[in-house]
Amino acid sequence: MSKKIVAVTACAAGIAHTYMAAEAIEQAAKEKGYDVKVETNGSIGAENVLTTEDIANADLVLVAADIKINPIRFSGKPLYVTDSNAAIADGAGLIDTALKDAKVFGEKGSKVGNIQIGNDHSKVNFFTHIMSGISYMIPMVIAAGLILAIANVYAFQRDDMGRIVKWGFDNKTAMGGLMANLFQVGQVGFKLMIPLFAGFVANSIADKPAIAPAMIGAYLANDPTSLHTKAGGGFIAALIVAFIVGYFVKLLKKIKWPHIIQPIVPIMIIPVIATLFISLIVFYLIGEPIATLMSGLYAWLTWLNTNSTSAPVIIGIVLGGMMGFDLGGPINKTALIFGTAVFADTMAKYGPTHANFLPQTATQAAISVAPLGVWLASIIWKNKFSKDEKVATTAALGMGLVGVTEGAIPFVAADPIRMIIANVSGSAVAGGLVALTGCKFYGGIGSPLGSFIGYIQQPIPLITWILCVCAGIAVTALIIGLTRSPQVMAAAKEAV
Amino acid sequence: MDATIFNQDHILLDTTSTTQAEAFQAIADLAASLGYVSDAKAYAAGLKEREAGATTGFKDGFAIPHSNDASILKPGLFLVKFSHPIEWAALDNQPVTVALALTIPKDGGKEHLKLLSQIARKLMNAEFRTTIQNETDAVALASSVNRIQ
Repeated sequence: MSKKIVAVTACAAGIAHTYMAAEAIEQAAKEKGYDVKVETNGSIGAENVLTTEDIANADLVLVAADIKINPIRFSGKPLYVTDSNAAIADGAGLIDTALKDAKVFGEKGSKVGNIQIGNDHSKVNFFTHIMSGISYMIPMVIAAGLILAIANVYAFQRDDMGRIVKWGFDNKTAMGGLMANLFQVGQVGFKLMIPLFAGFVANSIADKPAIAPAMIGAYLANDPTSLHTKAGGGFIAALIVAFIVGYFVKLLKKIKWPHIIQPIVPIMIIPVIATLFISLIVFYLIGEPIATLMSGLYAWLTWLNTNSTSAPVIIGIVLGGMMGFDLGGPINKTALIFGTAVFADTMAKYGPTHANFLPQTATQAAISVAPLGVWLASIIWKNKFSKDEKVATTAALGMGLVGVTEGAIPFVAADPIRMIIANVSGSAVAGGLVALTGCKFYGGIGSPLGSFIGYIQQPIPLITWILCVCAGIAVTALIIGLTRSPQVMAAAKEAV
Repeated sequence: MDATIFNQDHILLDTTSTTQAEAFQAIADLAASLGYVSDAKAYAAGLKEREAGATTGFKDGFAIPHSNDASILKPGLFLVKFSHPIEWAALDNQPVTVALALTIPKDGGKEHLKLLSQIARKLMNAEFRTTIQNETDAVALASSVNRIQ
């Protein structure tokens, strides 16, 4: 019996594979003696468009596309979805497989309206899950970061000479009070963005039931009070939480639950079990290691600080590198706390002329390297960043200029290994150089602008600090630009 | 075939490339020298990026690398034959000896884009592929391609 086949082909550029796939399907169907009509969704618009009648009369609907095709018009028809290359490689084989394996679209149990057509499973990977989370997180990073950045500028109190005397908001004035509130706003955003990110990464892996456990788990993992640590786990802990929850929920969904409780499985059973599960993991497997890690690192830094007085550059490099490692996570926080503690301690003991400025100066020089580095990379390697990413790098510029290191988080979360290498290298360079040149950071903003908005003693006024920090930024940008992987770029585009 | 999209000058016998990256560069240099792209590097990067999405190599040593990045000035077709078979992760796992590369401008005229898509369709014709594969003379190659309507 002759069969009637209708097909839709499409590809990314809409010129080559759309038509090659169409040709392959037409040729193969004709050889088999089947009736065939192929709609091409190319860049010149849809041609040979399938009519309602064509679809109604068809025995098979075949979609060979690399982009999403809305399947709603195929409801009730046997539908088979693949990519363009499958048709080009073997049109005849594809038709046979499709006739055998096509599933009636819109049948009970299949998802109408929310189905992913044209995205085969090989494209859903580690990166697409993270990118999904990032696309929800970016607006929050930007909103919170920029408000925090604005408030931060007002946080420096000056004496009559215009010198910065301390960091903190002057709540006695109306402006100071307002800025203190805005600073709060920014911090709330930074606190929320971590669970938000984890929630949507988990959502990408295992859908709605995974959101609640991932958000609760990530909040706990980033909350020092819950963990009884000096700092939360930051986005790296959130990433771990999101993947554990995502795959755990996926597993729970596979269980054959008794029929009677099935309606409450996704809204009650799975969220409760997964939340309990991840909370215990966070408390006992994430919290303890963070506390141990931080106190271990702190002890090591103290040792290094007393034993490397002859080579200050070493402690500068180490602290700088730590700042760039997890951008607000435990390692970054340990370096920051150490810098401030050594400064406050030696300042109280020996006074400003003999205080140890080095650790604090190194951490401050490194603080803006990651966000400014990724911004610089996006300026130099324009076509390696998607449109949305460029908006995020512009925001990273704003945050980096006032020393808010979190601006780089979306990019690190997207591609942890390469980005951490890039950030650590650049931050270490900045930290090492300020140590080498003997800059002394009293207060202000830890970006290149620190020379103007801050009080820094340096060999050549203004310039030394700027050059040191910019050298770090350049190193980070260079490594990002040269190592950015096509997989990450593709996932960034997919996520839009 | 429209001479502004393809003519004899668009044919290159590449005797040096041994890797896909070198092949992309050779294609990009050709397209840039003929004024179809503003920046050979950007176009080569565009080809690489498209390739990362899914292979453009298909059957019998043929590939159809293409890009629609911002560096492209006008629609064009370039026929490059490689002396050294190039590893391309093609659908039939065979190395590539012939590339028909396309420059696809973001806002190209409909007629020109249609011509490019006709070339893609033609490549699915086994007879056409054999002709292009076996012919070494540039004039004869050009006339085969020119017969595409």
